[in-house]
Amino acid sequence: MSELILTRNFHLPGSHTLALYRETGGYAGLEKAFAMKPAEITEEVKKSNLRGLGGAGFPTGVKWGFLPKGHPGPIYLVINADEGEPGTFKDRYLLERDPHALIEGMIISAYAIGAHLGFVYIRGEYVGPWRIFRRAVEEAYQAGFLGKNILGSGFDLDIIIHRGAGAYICGEETGLISSLEGKKGWPKLKPPFPAIRGAFGAPTIVNNVETICHVPHIVRRGAAWFAGLGTKTQGGTRMYSVSGHVARPGVYELPVSVTLRSLIDEHAGGLPNRRRLKAVVPGGSSAAILTAGEIDVTMDVDGLKNAGTMAGSAGVIVMDETVSIPDALMVVARFYAHESCGQCTPCRESTGWIYKMTRRIIEGKGRKEDLDTILDVARRGAGTTICAFFDGAVGPYISYIEKFRAEFEALIPK
Amino acid sequence: MSAMLTIDGRKVSVPEGTTIWEAARQAGIEIPVLCHDPRLRPVGVCRMCVVDVGERVLAASCVRAAADGMTVQTRSEKVERCRKTLTELLLSDYPADSAREKTTGDDLLLALGRSFGVRPEYLTIPRGDGRARDVSSPVIAVDHAACILCDRCIRACDEIQHNDVIGRTGKGYTARIAFDLDSPMGKSTCVACGECASVCPTGALTHKPLTAPIRPRAELKNVDSVCPYCGVGCAVTLHVDPAKNAVVLVDGRPSPGNESRLCVKGRYGFDYALHPQRLTVPLIRRAEFYPKGPLSGDVKGDGRRRKPGGLVDYNEVLPAFSEASWDEALDLVAKRLSEIKKADGPGALAGFGSAKCSNEEAYVFQKLVRAVFGTNNVDHCTRLCHASSVAALLETIGSGAVTNVFGDVKNAEVALIAGSSTTDNHPVAATFIKDAAQHGTTLIVVDQRETGIARHAHHFLRINPGTDVALYNAWMHVLISEGLVNREYIAKHTEGFEALRETVKRYPPERAAEICGVPADKIREAASVFGRAKAAIIFWGMGISQHTHGTDNARCLISLALLTGNVGRPGTGLHPLRGQNNVQGASDAGLIPMVFPDYQSVEDAGIRKRFEAAWGVRLDPKRGLTVVEIMTGALEKRIRGMYMMGENPFLSDPNINKVRKALAALDFLCVQDIFLTETAEFADVILPATSFFEKTGTYTNTDRRVQIGWKAVEPPGQARLDWEVVSEIARRMGYPMEYVTAEEIFNEFTALAPSYQGLTYQNLQPHGKLWPCPDPERSDGVQLLFGDGFPTPSGRGKFVPCEYRPAAEVPDSDYPFVLNTGRLLEHWHTGVMTRRSRPLSTIQPEAFCEMNPDDLAAAGIPAGAYVSVSSRRGSITLRAHASRRIAPGTVFIPFHFREAAANVLTNDQLDPVGKIPEFKFCAVRIDPATA
Amino acid sequence: MSALGAVSVQFTREQLAEVRRLQALYPDKRAALLPVLHLAQEAFGHISLEAEEYAAGLFDLSPAHVHEVVTFYSLFFREPRGRHVISVCHNLTCHLLGAQRVLTHLKKRLGVDVGGTTPDGGVTLLSVECLCACEMAPMMQVNDRYEGNLTPEKVDRILAELR
Repeated sequence: MSELILTRNFHLPGSHTLALYRETGGYAGLEKAFAMKPAEITEEVKKSNLRGLGGAGFPTGVKWGFLPKGHPGPIYLVINADEGEPGTFKDRYLLERDPHALIEGMIISAYAIGAHLGFVYIRGEYVGPWRIFRRAVEEAYQAGFLGKNILGSGFDLDIIIHRGAGAYICGEETGLISSLEGKKGWPKLKPPFPAIRGAFGAPTIVNNVETICHVPHIVRRGAAWFAGLGTKTQGGTRMYSVSGHVARPGVYELPVSVTLRSLIDEHAGGLPNRRRLKAVVPGGSSAAILTAGEIDVTMDVDGLKNAGTMAGSAGVIVMDETVSIPDALMVVARFYAHESCGQCTPCRESTGWIYKMTRRIIEGKGRKEDLDTILDVARRGAGTTICAFFDGAVGPYISYIEKFRAEFEALIPK
Repeated sequence: MSAMLTIDGRKVSVPEGTTIWEAARQAGIEIPVLCHDPRLRPVGVCRMCVVDVGERVLAASCVRAAADGMTVQTRSEKVERCRKTLTELLLSDYPADSAREKTTGDDLLLALGRSFGVRPEYLTIPRGDGRARDVSSPVIAVDHAACILCDRCIRACDEIQHNDVIGRTGKGYTARIAFDLDSPMGKSTCVACGECASVCPTGALTHKPLTAPIRPRAELKNVDSVCPYCGVGCAVTLHVDPAKNAVVLVDGRPSPGNESRLCVKGRYGFDYALHPQRLTVPLIRRAEFYPKGPLSGDVKGDGRRRKPGGLVDYNEVLPAFSEASWDEALDLVAKRLSEIKKADGPGALAGFGSAKCSNEEAYVFQKLVRAVFGTNNVDHCTRLCHASSVAALLETIGSGAVTNVFGDVKNAEVALIAGSSTTDNHPVAATFIKDAAQHGTTLIVVDQRETGIARHAHHFLRINPGTDVALYNAWMHVLISEGLVNREYIAKHTEGFEALRETVKRYPPERAAEICGVPADKIREAASVFGRAKAAIIFWGMGISQHTHGTDNARCLISLALLTGNVGRPGTGLHPLRGQNNVQGASDAGLIPMVFPDYQSVEDAGIRKRFEAAWGVRLDPKRGLTVVEIMTGALEKRIRGMYMMGENPFLSDPNINKVRKALAALDFLCVQDIFLTETAEFADVILPATSFFEKTGTYTNTDRRVQIGWKAVEPPGQARLDWEVVSEIARRMGYPMEYVTAEEIFNEFTALAPSYQGLTYQNLQPHGKLWPCPDPERSDGVQLLFGDGFPTPSGRGKFVPCEYRPAAEVPDSDYPFVLNTGRLLEHWHTGVMTRRSRPLSTIQPEAFCEMNPDDLAAAGIPAGAYVSVSSRRGSITLRAHASRRIAPGTVFIPFHFREAAANVLTNDQLDPVGKIPEFKFCAVRIDPATA
Repeated sequence: MSALGAVSVQFTREQLAEVRRLQALYPDKRAALLPVLHLAQEAFGHISLEAEEYAAGLFDLSPAHVHEVVTFYSLFFREPRGRHVISVCHNLTCHLLGAQRVLTHLKKRLGVDVGGTTPDGGVTLLSVECLCACEMAPMMQVNDRYEGNLTPEKVDRILAELR
C-alpha cells in the first residue's frame, strides 16, 4: 500500500476539525512557506510536476507563472469546488473530511501568487460540505490562520465562500468566474486567460480543491519527493473516484502510475457477481470510453491521453457485461444537452439534437444513417466553441458509437 | 503597430487589435457570420465565422485578433463543412415562413442555407418545445421558433439603446430570449425602439408592416431623409413602395448624429402621413358658421368626458366648411389679409410659423410676414420651449445655439442633465448619454420627477418644482468657497464675476436645501463632483426653460459653466436640447419677432438696410410680438388677422380657455396644415399642406447639424408644398415670390445668414453639416464653439447673477398640488401626427395624469380611476396613474391629449425676458371625477 | 424600471442588513446576486417573478438581467415547492445501478410525476443530473442530505421519516 497524503486522516473521527488537523501536523508548513519568497514556492510547485486535478490536467506551477509580474491591482485565488463531472466525488470528501487542508493550501498558494482574497466556489447541492467548510474557515479565522497578518508574517488573506446554484458549466473555470461575478455561468472568450484578466477583471488563478490540497505537502516535503511519487510528467498521488459495477466503490488515493486494471481489480475489489467487464469510463463522463481490453493503461494524464482518452477528473465508472452502451450514451447525451450553457451555437444545437437522436435509436425508431450523422455532427462541432464543454461531450459520442457500433446498429430497424 | 497577415492568399495589413473578420472585410472578403454586426460588441457565439488559422481548433474570426504573420483560410473544406453542419442544425427546426424572408427578404440564415444547398430533410427532428409567436407588440413581431439565440437583440437593447429589456430565459437547448421576466413583448417595459428587430438576422424579430406590406429591400426605393419628430434629427433611410405611394419601412442611417439609432417615433411613427383624415382640398368657412367659434365638443370644452383616443371628429367640423379651389381660397386669404392691413395697419397682422417645417419654409414664411404683411409679428413654438434659454444665451455668450454636440458627452467626465426627461423627449440623444454613463462619465440628474434618465444617474437630485435658481446658486456657492472654480478662465474669458460672487454668497447649501428639498450634503457632493471634473457638459430641457424665471434658470447654468471653464473644449459645453426637429433651423431662419435670419436684430438700422436691399421693400423697425402676446393681442382686438402654418396653438399654448376666446375673436384666420387641427376650427380658410415625406427641405437639429430630407412620396389630393402656398399668398398680396425649388430658397437664405454661409444642397449630402462650416468641402463643420472667447461686444462671457423667485402661482389650500406638464416618448406635442399613427396611439391611447400613490391613497382615489384636475383657469377629467417617480404634492400631465388638454389648466404668466409661459408650474386641485 | 408594477415580497430588516453585507463583501456588488437569491429562496420559499423584480431593485439591475440568472440555475425554484424536495440522480452510475427503479418507486409512493408536488404540499420530486456521490449509487438528495445505496425499503424508511 502506497503512502496516503491527502486522505491520510479521512478515517479519523473529527478529521474535519482544526484540533485534529493541527495534531496531525496541519498548518505546520505555513511557517516554512512564509520564510520562502513567493517566487520560490511557485518554482517548487513547478518542479513538483503537480498538474491540475479538476479535469484539464494543466501544470499548476506553469499556470501560476502566467500571472503578470508586478501587477499593481488585486490578484484573486479562486478554488473550484464546483465538483460536477459525472463519476467524480473526491472534492466532496476533501471538503467534508479535511477542510483545513484546503485552507492551508489556499494560504500558501495565495502567498505564492500575491492574492489577498480567495474565493471557494462550492456547488450549490453540496450543502453539508459547505457547512463543514464554513465552520473550518471560522475556526481558521479564530486561530489567526486567516485575516490580517497571518502568524505574524505580514501576509493577509480573506476567504469568501460562494455557493453555486446548480449548473455543471460553472466547473469550467471561466464559467465559474462569470457565475462568481453574479451572472449566468457563461464561459468567457480566451484569450485573455484568467491569469491575465479573470474575476472582476483582475488576474485570477482558478485551481481545483484537490490540486491546492497538495500544495502544503509539496512545500513541506519538497518538490523532488512529490515528483518522485508519480511519472515523469506528473507528480504525486491523486484521488480516484471509482463507481459503478465494482465491489468497493469509493475514493482511492494512489500514485498516478497505477494502472486502470489494478485500480478496478485490486483496489476497488473487482466486479461483483462474477460478471465480466464490458467498458470503463476512466476520467469522468467526458472521457472517451475504454473497452475491457483497453484497461492496461497507467492512470496519469499522459498515459490516458496516449490511450485515446483522458484522465479528466479521475472519475472511473465501471460497466459490466449487462450494460447497454446505447442506453448509457442516451443518459450521457441527456446530461450534455441539459448542461450546455447555450452560448455557442454548435454546442447548444448539437447537444440537444444528438440527445434526441440517441433517444430515437433507443426507442427503436432510428434510421440507418443516424449513427454517421451523429458522428458527423459531433466531429464538426468539436474544437469550434468558446470552452471545452462540447469537446468533452464529443468524447463519449464518438467513442461509444465507434467502439460499440454493432450494439447501436442492432437497435436500428432494418 | 500593424499586423501583416495573409487571408485566402491575399496580403492584408491592419492595425493591431483588428479582428480577422474585420481585416477580411477590409480586404473585400466576406466571412459569413450570424451573431456579429459591426455596430455590436463581438461575442463569438454563433461560430459561423470560424476560420482556419493553422491551429488544432478553428478560430472565431469575429473575436480573434489578426496577428502578424498569420495565415488565414476562410473557405477551406474543413471550415465550410463546419459552417454547413451548423446551418443544417439551425435550419432543422426553422419555420418554413420566416417573417424576415416574407418582408425585407434578407433572412441571413436562409441565405446561408441556400449557399450551402442544405437539404431541408437532412435533420428532421423538430425541437417540439412549443416555441411560440408573440404578436403583442404593435410594431415588432416575435417568432421564437426562428430565433437562433445569436443575442444580437440583447446586445442592441443593452449596449446600443441601454434599455436592458431583453435577456434569455433558461439554459442550453431550451433557452429562449425573454422580455423582462419573460413577459409578452407588448406587455414588457420595451419602449419599441426597434433596435432589436433592426439587428436580428432571422425571422425572430421583425418589423410589422404599418402602411403597406413590406417588400424585399431591393424592390423598394431608398430615400435619404431625417426623422420628422424631435430635435435630435436622426438620419433615416425611408423605404418607399412607389406603387403604393407609401413609406413602408424606416431604417436609421449611419450618420454622425444618431449612428443608425432610432426611437419608436422615428422608426414606426411614419404612418400618420397616410391617415384618412389628411386634408386634400382647400376649405372655406360657410357663412352660416359665423360668428366663429369652436365646432367640436372637445374644442368647445363643454365638460363632457371624452372617449379615449380622441381625434377630431370630422363630422362635427367639416359641415362648417365648403370645399374650394386653390384660386378661390388663396384669393380670399390675400384679400382679407390685405384689407386688415389697410384698415388697421400692418401691426394688426401676425403669423405663426412652425418648427416642424423646413428652413426654407420658415425663411419664406417670415419673409412673407416681414416683407409683405409689413410687421415683425412672426413667431413660432420656440417661444414655448427654449425662448428663455436662447434669451439667456444671447445675453451671456452672444449666441443662442448649443456650444457642443450631444454626442461629445462621451468625452465628458461629468454630465449634468437639468430638467430634461431625455429618454422621453430626446430618446436617441439619451442613448449616447447612457452610453457615456456606462463608460466612465459621471451623470448628475436634477429633476422634480424621477425620470428615465435618472435611473442611469450616479447622482440624482430630486428638487422641489421651480427651485433651480436656489440649487445652482448653492452649487456656485460651494464651488467658490471650496476653490473649485477656474480662475484663469474667469479672468481671461468672463466678466461680472464679483457680482455673481456677492449673490451666491447668500445661498449656502443649507439655505438652498430648505428651498429645494435636497439635503445640503447632497448639494455639496454634486457641486464638488461637478467642480472637480476636468470636462463637464450641461444639458437642459423644458424643466429649466418653461418657468416665469426660465431665463434665470438658464443664466445659472451658463454661469456654472463659465465659472468652471467648461465651454469650448472636448467634453464640455452648454446644450439646451432643442425640442422640434427644426426649432433650431426655424429660429435660424428668422421665425422670431426680434430678429431677421441668423439672429440679426430688426432694430439695427444697418442690418435692416441689408434686408431691405435684399427683399426690395421697407421693413418694420420695431420688434414684433411673441406667441402669447399675439394671442393676448387677438383677444384685445389689436391683432385682427393671422396666418398659421403648421402651428396648433389651441393645444400648445397655455390657458386654453383664453386661447379659445382669442382665436374666435380674430377677424380672419388662415390655417395651413395637414390635418384639421383644433385651431383650424376657428379658421376662415384652411389650406391643405404637404407632410414631411412629401417634400424636400433642410432641417437643423439640436447640434446645429443641417440635413436634407428628400421627398419620398407624392402628396395626397390637391395638397401643396408649404413654401409654394406662402409664395402664392405673397404674390396675390402684390409681392413677387417666384421660387421654383426649395434649393433656390436655401441659397437665398444662406446668402443672408453668415452662420450658414457655404452650405449647399451638394455639400450637405449625405450626412449634413454643422453650422458654422467655414470649409464645407473638407469639414463636417465646427463642433466646438467658443474655445477662445465669445461673440459678445466685449468678447467675454457674462455672469448674470439671479435671485431665487418662486413660481407665479404657488399652491394654497384651494389648489394644493403643483401641476407639471410635459411629453411622452410616444407622442409629439399636440398629437396631430402621433395620435394618427396607429402604433404610437396603440401604445399610448389616452390622456392620464401621474400622481404619487400616497397622494392618491390620501384622496381616496384608486389608481386607474378618473379624476378631475382643476386650476383657476379650467378643469379636465382624465385617468390617474400611480407612480413613485412622481413626488408627493405634484401631478404630471402629458399635454398631447385634446380630450383632456393639460393647457386648459396651465398659467399664461410669462417670463419677463424670454416671454415663455410657466408650463411647468401652476396650482391645481384633484377631485374624484363625478360619473 | 418596473416590469410588474407593485412588488409584494420584502426582506425583513435583518435580511436586508445581510443583503447589504453581502453586497459590500465582494469586489463588485453584483457578485452578491447568487447569495442574495439563495437568501430570497430561503425567505420566500421560491423565487417568484416578484422576487426577481425585487432582487433587480436591490441590485440596480434590469428585471431581464436577473431573470436570466434565475432561470439559468437549476437550484432556483420558480414555483412553490413542497416542504421537502427529493432529487433523484439519474446520471450514469446511478442509472447503471437502478436509479430508474428508485424513481419509479418514488413516483408510485408519492403519487406524483417528476417535477410534481404531493397534494398536501409535503414533497416535491425531481430527477436530476449527477450529484457527485456515485460511490453510493443509486442515490438521491433529500433537502440538504445525501441518501445513497437506495433500495425500495430504504426509500420507504426515508419517506416515513419525512412525514
